[in-house]
Amino acid sequence: MTRLKKRIQLAIIAVLAWVTAAHAQFISNSPHDSPIKAEAVQYLFPEQVSVPAGKPTPVTLHFRVAQGLHINSHTPSDEFLIATDFSIPDGMGVRLGTATYPDGKIISLAFDPSTRLSVYTGEFDIEARIIATPGNHLVQAKLHYQACDQNECLPPKTINVPIDVIGK
Amino acid sequence: MVFILAVFAWAGWANWEYRRQAVERLLAHAGQGELVPAPAGDTMTYVSPLDGKPAPAFALENLSGSKVSLASYKGKAVMINFWATWCGPCKVETPWIVELRGKYAGQGFEVLGVDTEGDDLEPGDKAGWAKAQAAANKFASEEKIPYPVLLDGDSISREYGGLDDLPASFFVDKSGKVVSASVGLTSESDIEGNIKKALND
Repeated sequence: MTRLKKRIQLAIIAVLAWVTAAHAQFISNSPHDSPIKAEAVQYLFPEQVSVPAGKPTPVTLHFRVAQGLHINSHTPSDEFLIATDFSIPDGMGVRLGTATYPDGKIISLAFDPSTRLSVYTGEFDIEARIIATPGNHLVQAKLHYQACDQNECLPPKTINVPIDVIGK
Repeated sequence: MVFILAVFAWAGWANWEYRRQAVERLLAHAGQGELVPAPAGDTMTYVSPLDGKPAPAFALENLSGSKVSLASYKGKAVMINFWATWCGPCKVETPWIVELRGKYAGQGFEVLGVDTEGDDLEPGDKAGWAKAQAAANKFASEEKIPYPVLLDGDSISREYGGLDDLPASFFVDKSGKVVSASVGLTSESDIEGNIKKALND
């Protein structure tokens, strides 16, 4: 009986060792290692705001453009360029009154020194005046932008800007 | 015993999940090229998985609404240039391409400019597509583009490696085989070198 118990214990240890190895391999190949590019723009904060219900209230939203990239400002220098634009879809209990964007930084790129671009790089803020109905609203606001680096451009993109808005 | 069976069941699931993720990664990489050191070792050169393979076939509408197929250019060296109006580097290289097309057209060279304007547009967004086409039209007119400009390049982007970045160009020889590719702004001399390669000059 004791021998049988020992064999079972050994079998369990062997299986656990194999499972641990398999798990390590599984974890090391998880999507976190994916080479797929990170977002060009990341929403930083706030995650939650409390505003008086029914009253337009300014909320400053903070974003970050990935290093080495730039996005067009809200007022790009060329009609073909895509402006950065913040919006709140209808039906979320929160309405966007106005959005105030920062001035773009004027840059020229090495490949075309004669063209001046109005862009955002690094961190930038948008002041959104929002009007919330009473209650708790998980708002999925949107930021539309188009990013480039020195030599190439990424397609236009719209990211979600999740904000928990409490209308009191 | 139950514990051992549970462990086996979990291990089986973990193994299945691991394989599923591996397949996903493989698919994600299937059409993507990579940067490798040039022979001199000092710069990076884009190598497309399409190099040496037949250029994927397509038939897209031009600015006048007529279908234009790649197959109809068999016997010519072709530069397939993916661009968009919102792409600054594309605007920079367009005059170079126009000039080089004029220089080599007599040797059997043509450019197909493929507009990938509507990357973020839904298929049913008629107003969005009309706006995109108007922008492409205006851009082609302002840049005095003499070669065919084709629309809805996004519909063939997968076959050409995903086209996550613009500009992107593929150089096809007279037999229809991709001989070179580039992603991002290079230089007029690089483009000319690739055209010569396609012409087997």
